[in-house]
Amino acid sequence: MANGDTSAQQLLDSIRSIDTQTLITMFLVFSIAYILGKIVTILLSKLSDKLSQSGRVKVKLIIPVVKFVIYIVALYYIFRQIFIIFGTELFLLTGILGASIGFGVKDLFADFVGGIVITFEKPYQIGDKIALGNYYGEVTDIGLRATKLVTPDDNTVTVPNNLIFNESVASGNSGASEMMVVIDLYIAGESDVEPAMRILREAVVSSKYVYISKKRPVTLLHKALPFYTRLRAKAYVNDLRDEFKFESDVHTRTWIEFQKNGIKPPQLHILNIPAIEEISE
Amino acid sequence: METQHNGSEENSFGEILGLQNEIGEIQASIADYEVGKKLNIAIIAGPLAGKTTLLGEIERINSSRATGITFSEIIRNKKEISLPDDTKRIVLLDNCHFLYRRKTGGFDIFYEFLDMISSQEKLFITTWNLYSWRYLNEVFGLEKYFPVQVVIPDFEKENLRLFILKRYGKEEIRFYNDKEAKEEPFIYVAKYPLELSSLGKKILIPVPKINIPYLKNRLLNKKETQTTEDRIFEKIYLESKGNPGIARRIWELGLDYPRIKPEDIGQFSFNIELEYEEAFVLSLILLYQSLKKTEISDMIGSTSRVDEIIFRLLTQELIFKDEAGFFRIRPEALHSVVAYMKKLRLVW
Repeated sequence: MANGDTSAQQLLDSIRSIDTQTLITMFLVFSIAYILGKIVTILLSKLSDKLSQSGRVKVKLIIPVVKFVIYIVALYYIFRQIFIIFGTELFLLTGILGASIGFGVKDLFADFVGGIVITFEKPYQIGDKIALGNYYGEVTDIGLRATKLVTPDDNTVTVPNNLIFNESVASGNSGASEMMVVIDLYIAGESDVEPAMRILREAVVSSKYVYISKKRPVTLLHKALPFYTRLRAKAYVNDLRDEFKFESDVHTRTWIEFQKNGIKPPQLHILNIPAIEEISE
Repeated sequence: METQHNGSEENSFGEILGLQNEIGEIQASIADYEVGKKLNIAIIAGPLAGKTTLLGEIERINSSRATGITFSEIIRNKKEISLPDDTKRIVLLDNCHFLYRRKTGGFDIFYEFLDMISSQEKLFITTWNLYSWRYLNEVFGLEKYFPVQVVIPDFEKENLRLFILKRYGKEEIRFYNDKEAKEEPFIYVAKYPLELSSLGKKILIPVPKINIPYLKNRLLNKKETQTTEDRIFEKIYLESKGNPGIARRIWELGLDYPRIKPEDIGQFSFNIELEYEEAFVLSLILLYQSLKKTEISDMIGSTSRVDEIIFRLLTQELIFKDEAGFFRIRPEALHSVVAYMKKLRLVW
């Protein structure tokens, strides 16, 4: 008991011995690291926008790594100062820190660990289009605590990094600048499928947004359903930012050509069912 | 200081162009065809690289057994690709990139063409724009229809010199240098043009170079004879990257007839900033090499924006309109345009 009291007293003495200068220095180190991280993010993002799509992805790949290196260097400096101050009482301090993490800031700590996992395991990267939890959008920033997504409606969503431990992440492009887009069109069951498939294929391959290579082919699928026929095109958009423009472009041009060729959209058959009186007649 | 061109073009056409290997490969395929092995041939090259010239030479060599057809604009009527009854056994088709339109419903002629070349017994030797070929190959697997593909290589410096000077008579061109021979530096800085597709730009990198002919002349105590001409053609070669069409254009821009000096050989780098649709139209002009306004509006599906887009491309001096009303990429801007298109991945 006496030993415990002595240790606590020593810890309190050590805390009292921290001078204002040390505290200001630690605060400044943390602030500089934060500002430096922001500057690096802005500069590299601007640089990446000037590059080709593949170059953009490569540059954005290094942003979170650089940021974490800056933060780790800052944390190393801060912990070194703490170790110098507390010395042998560090074990006691660690216990207090453990308790505080367990009670109060465990989510913050989990977010930080999540950030490290995201940076080095790369389930997604800045610039990827991902579905995480209930959200879908382009990753614009991976921070210490949270990942920022911009949704197709231009909402910025901040998702805590610890979500990757509980939720599955779907990345549409996984670091590549092109991304597969699945385009579905529905036509009337009685329409001729062959010209419809040809038109859809031509609309896809002639789109200004398409990217085609041996590894990124265009695939067309057809499925006959009771009241309509589904045509599906799987193709890669050149720049994932143009995902919806690509889809819209293909839809527009396909339907213009469908109309020229007499290919009709599905009819609401239920409205065509004759009334009961008509049947009885 | 002046030197004069000696006009010694006694080489045959093939030797001048340095395309002996390509001509040999095509002639070997023709020989195979004569013994029953039919392998259609595609001659592929970027704009102004000499594919029509090469095809003309093949036609000249095989004049007794070959029929040549040239497509000079986008083909819209199937009858235009049907072969006349008197067509010989070998069919030479120039500018086959005019057989499709990049739009929905724009590939009917192309399907007809593929059907024709795969169903007929004749041997087809065709020329394609490099970027159209790559596009059509990714989309339709064109290489399956053309097992023999001949890609025209870049010209050597010496071949470029002969190609440009063959139009002039003996001692007609005077190579002029402001500096006296003795003042020629044996080390000088040459600006080396480099296309960076990651930046979408052509940049000029200063590279120190040793003036070997001058040094040789000094060491052997000879009078300087070729340095000025060498310097001029080295600059043209570096700027054109061995493309004869670009080289000729750079030559013409620098020539103050009958004089030319190294300082007048321009180096061109275009800082291209375009909206996506403008870039797409530029890529179409690159794919087809020459397009009319109506053809562009047909492919982009909008007549209202075409004038505005063409105006933007003209003011940025990336394209020009020829006498026949076709829009073409300026030869001196070609490398910058290609780098920009690759950056956007509008050409593959």
